Amino acid sequence: MRVLGIETSCDETGVAIVQDGTVRSNLLASQVEVHERFGGVVPELASRAHVEALNPLLEQALGEAGVGFGDLDGVAVTVGPGLVGALLVGIAAAKSISLAARIPLVGVNHLEGHILANAIEHGPDLAPAVCLVVSGGHTMLVHMPEPHRYEILGQTVDDAAGEAFDKIARFIGLGFPGGPALDRLAQQGDPDAIRFPRAMADSGDYDFSLSGLKTAVLRHVKAERGAGREVDPADLAASFQEAIVDVQVAKTMDAARERGTRRVLLGGGVVANSRLRDRMEKAGAEAGIDVRFPSMSLCTDNGAMIALAGSWRLARGERSDLSVGADPSMVLA
Amino acid sequence: MERRGVIVLGIDTSTAVTSVALGTEHEIVGAVSFAGARKHDDVVPAIEQLLAWTGKQLEHVHGVAVGLGPGLYTGLRVGVEAGKALAQVLRVPIVGIPSLDVLAFGVHQTPRTVVAVMDARRKEVFSARYRPVHGGVVREGGYRVGTPAALAADLEAVREEVLLVGDGAILYRQELEVSGRIEVAPAPFAHPWASALVTLAAPRFIREETDRLPEVVPLYLRKTDAEIAWDQRARGASA
Ligand SMILES: [Zn+2]
Repeated sequence: MRVLGIETSCDETGVAIVQDGTVRSNLLASQVEVHERFGGVVPELASRAHVEALNPLLEQALGEAGVGFGDLDGVAVTVGPGLVGALLVGIAAAKSISLAARIPLVGVNHLEGHILANAIEHGPDLAPAVCLVVSGGHTMLVHMPEPHRYEILGQTVDDAAGEAFDKIARFIGLGFPGGPALDRLAQQGDPDAIRFPRAMADSGDYDFSLSGLKTAVLRHVKAERGAGREVDPADLAASFQEAIVDVQVAKTMDAARERGTRRVLLGGGVVANSRLRDRMEKAGAEAGIDVRFPSMSLCTDNGAMIALAGSWRLARGERSDLSVGADPSMVLA
Repeated sequence: MERRGVIVLGIDTSTAVTSVALGTEHEIVGAVSFAGARKHDDVVPAIEQLLAWTGKQLEHVHGVAVGLGPGLYTGLRVGVEAGKALAQVLRVPIVGIPSLDVLAFGVHQTPRTVVAVMDARRKEVFSARYRPVHGGVVREGGYRVGTPAALAADLEAVREEVLLVGDGAILYRQELEVSGRIEVAPAPFAHPWASALVTLAAPRFIREETDRLPEVVPLYLRKTDAEIAWDQRARGASA
């Protein structure tokens, strides 16, 4: 089965063609330059950029895969969660493609896309698993007892992890988006230099809180400067990152143990963080739990994960109506 | 092209009305419009109904015409992107036409000067001015966005008889009817109907004056709030 995937939920236009679990093409038009000067994603600008990028990207994706619209067996599109105006651009295109190419349409939950992205490189036997989805918009622990069944164990009560990374990166002066730059800087710092609070580490549930950590970082720097001491940015970055990673590793492993599953799946842009990957793998090896995550380009938002998840749903006989809309706060269920 | 003319699929979603139509330069084969509260995603279902009603297939379509607005951004974009993707899959040419032009074309039989006025929200209107000619209208000046008061001031300076057309003209009738020379066209003319878009666009396909797909983008006329705030800061910094 050859499926086209379209992803426009936030600030990346993603188009991909996946055939029987294999990526034939996976293209991305990043809007980093559009939003950079604003220090965050501007929804209206994101929607405008999707309209400009989407159709040339579709052409390119077909070209790279060496197929035409007529060779497709289905079209999958992100219907939520995300920015409503941005989602609707991808949905409008997907519906037209479905109608004109006479192929079935299926709406995909963006979060399921991040989880099932793991199937591209690790094969289809993923469940049962505990999944951690961490990105600029989400920080969520999910139990997947079987494919397409999800039970949300916990999520952030305030900021998403990616948001916290971006804010601290901006504070240190690393620009937007700051995640990758902060990761690099942290590699030269001491993660134990400053002991920041591990928010909700012992809360007994699987929820996360990140706004307190952000405040603690700002307060620490202010106090040090007040005392006439400069803070080493690499130590600051490493210590801040460690506080986030500590809690995520601990809660993910706890959840896996409690659910009795031997597998942990990671997904979302923050999984590109090298410290999170290393610490998760190490904790998994110690606990005898198989930790899997996609390679860099499949962690961040992309069309391939939507095509993959969509192809699985199409194979189960699922179809979306041409009247399907965007669901900006769609729940994973 | 064949003698019976090119069949054009027209789509306009710049106002609260979703309007699609199928036809040639001389004939409207079918039209479907949804008015009232929009679900933002009813364009393709409307096209499906249009095809079912007319018994036509998308393979009969020689070209896609989209109304570029200006208009209400999210809905406008849905129509433009739906049209672009259809043209891309069908491998047919596309033409984008400003929806203000479509509004003015809809009343081109009047001998008066026409000003198309669309509601731009935020107590502003989009507008453009046209001179009727044989078989159509010719735009004079650019597409503008501004307050109804600013447009009213401009209208006061116009010496000829003026016909205002569009939902903005109806909404701000009291501010805009500044003299006896000005009349507001009634509600049936107030939306850029896809049937008028088809009639207006068909000759462009015959003359092969079509647009490049990537260049078909909505006519926004306004920067985003974030950009406006940024410009203000930049101006403040340089002042
Ligand atoms: Zn994402």
